[in-house]
Amino acid sequence: MPETLVQIEQKAPRGDWRDPHVEFRKGSICYSAAAKNLGALSLPNPRAWQPMDADWKLPPDWKRIVLDGMKERLKKYRSFRLFMDICVRCGACADKCHFYLGSADPKNMPVVRAELMRSIYRRYFTLTGRLFGSLAGGRELTEDVIKEWFYYFYQCTECRRCSVFCPYGIDTAEITMMGRELLNLIGCNTNWVLEPAANCFRTGNHLGIQPHGFKDSIDFAAEEASEITGLDIEVPINRKGAEVLFVMPSADYFGTPHYYTLLGYLMLFREIGLDYTVSAYASEGGNFGLFSSHEMMKRLNAKIYDEARRLRVKWILGGECGHMWRVLHQYMDTMNGPADFLEVPVSPITGTVFENARSTRAVHICEFTADLIHHGTLKLDPRRNDHWIATYHDSCNPARAMGLLEEPRTILKSVCRNFHEMPENTIREQTFCCGSGAGLGTDENLEMRLRGGFPRANAVKYVKEKHGVNLLTCICAIDKATLPTLLEYWVPGVEVAGVHELLGNALVMTGEKERVADLRGELFAPEAHSVGSASEASHA
Amino acid sequence: MSVSGAVSEIVAERWVERTLAAYPAEILPFLSGEHDRFRNPVGQVIQESLTTLARELLGAMDNRATAPAIDALVRMRAVQDFSPSAALRFIFDLRPVIAEVCGEVTPQLESRIDELALMAFDRYLACREQIASLREKELRVRALSPAR
Ligand code: SF4
Ligand code: SF4
Repeated sequence: MPETLVQIEQKAPRGDWRDPHVEFRKGSICYSAAAKNLGALSLPNPRAWQPMDADWKLPPDWKRIVLDGMKERLKKYRSFRLFMDICVRCGACADKCHFYLGSADPKNMPVVRAELMRSIYRRYFTLTGRLFGSLAGGRELTEDVIKEWFYYFYQCTECRRCSVFCPYGIDTAEITMMGRELLNLIGCNTNWVLEPAANCFRTGNHLGIQPHGFKDSIDFAAEEASEITGLDIEVPINRKGAEVLFVMPSADYFGTPHYYTLLGYLMLFREIGLDYTVSAYASEGGNFGLFSSHEMMKRLNAKIYDEARRLRVKWILGGECGHMWRVLHQYMDTMNGPADFLEVPVSPITGTVFENARSTRAVHICEFTADLIHHGTLKLDPRRNDHWIATYHDSCNPARAMGLLEEPRTILKSVCRNFHEMPENTIREQTFCCGSGAGLGTDENLEMRLRGGFPRANAVKYVKEKHGVNLLTCICAIDKATLPTLLEYWVPGVEVAGVHELLGNALVMTGEKERVADLRGELFAPEAHSVGSASEASHA
Repeated sequence: MSVSGAVSEIVAERWVERTLAAYPAEILPFLSGEHDRFRNPVGQVIQESLTTLARELLGAMDNRATAPAIDALVRMRAVQDFSPSAALRFIFDLRPVIAEVCGEVTPQLESRIDELALMAFDRYLACREQIASLREKELRVRALSPAR
């Protein structure tokens, strides 16, 4: 028998972190971006290649391009230079990354992930590094380093959990973003990031749905919401002069379980008589530009504001989306803002002024709905959600990037009677990522996602065993798309839903017909039956 | 079998040590030293599963306890960066551990270890098959979406 057939691998191959060599195994990497998508976005070096290939077909002067790109960005983004300089390697962030915790791979420690870039910075941009090279913590920039960057910067979901623990506030997600920008300069990008961006550019949304398809989907949802409630529910599209432009992630009108959340929004808007419109042009809240470069993020974000201007709305209301809110809350103002052609958002129902949205003029649907509930303007019957025992996953971006912690909980506790939190160190600011954000949520990368999602699933398993939890709620489209797979593997028997789906179940609408089933068509729990427009329904 | 709980504890302890040694050295102090099950899920699954398995191996060998313990551990190792042989090596680490602690591996223990190994093979394959079918399911959903 040839020797290779009887060799048994002793350990997963790993070594010194300075050694840039990585092995690309199918199942735990994202595939390269198709040349046509690079073309659509005018990005350099379109070609056929895959990460598993030995030859990545980099441009001949790739090294100069990367170093020039780094130089430019060190100058342009003060945070980048600061993060390169100030880390004291205290290790507080080391065991905070879900990829590190799930994979046990030391290069997934945030401090080491950053060091992959920092060692190049030291070698080429500091005096000691230029003089003393590796003695000063520098590394040569080689093709292997580029491959390593690709591997580890597409193994970071930009979730920012590590930054919560860093005493200096170093945000490794920002370093990952820089790493991806530099990789983009030489054509090393993934299809799962660039195709949605290219689609969004072309049709206005990640899925590439054209205006007539958008209208069909929205009309279909409106019809279904009408059928469920017995009320006439219509959704205005591209209506000029509406007070509010409502922008949601495209998955809400094309994915499951997102779709039930959409039904929830539509019912809510009908009940409060909101003067709003959706748009076939701004038909995407999400922004996959965030996952490739600042420039791309800016281009995609601008579409929403252009449309708000064109439709002459007063302000923007946004749906249950994750990174949409990172972009709006942390970048929009300096990229495309201030949106001073819009008005400071005021709830037309309660009169609440959303001061926090003074510059972006965009309000999160959970802020909006929690305010309605706080003022007692909605009639809710939480018993209609008695078939669910729910917990809440703080989606990374709304939680860490905009501090949206109480609003979704206010809604959940008003619309459902069985609610249990996961352990303290896995929620709120410390929430564990789903493991599929920042453009990693593709099927070819499933093993990596299952590793990265393990800490989150582990906490869900705990509340399932302790309280019988059967529903994980969240407010992010990527969560809704990827958590079902994660849970099926780690915690079978727990489903995934948006917060506004449960709101749609509990919302008692004026003149509605008797409701016996929830938005998924599942019958209400027996005692919640026949509460249709019941007078005993609780006022929140 | 009249082996006391204390022996099973020592077996578990050394077994955990050997199993952890397959992970990179930098992470060992954390994996073995952090006892919060939410901060250190990998270390805790290894600890809990191997403790249960050692107890059952030297005790009643109750399937209701061994099956979930094997599943939890194998499920995790099936997605980590291990070859199949490396993922399941922990079972075979039992022999030297028992020989070390008990002096010998009795024929009964031998056959129990074999039984655990076979269970682990089955679980490993089931997990890998599940990953493949979950991927397929996601691909089918993707195929329905308009532009992909
Ligand atoms: S941002 Fe998230 S995924 Fe990236 S290194 Fe930090 S904790 Fe890990
Ligand atoms: S916590 Fe901050 S300073 Fe400490 S190692 Fe991590 S990034 Fe560096």
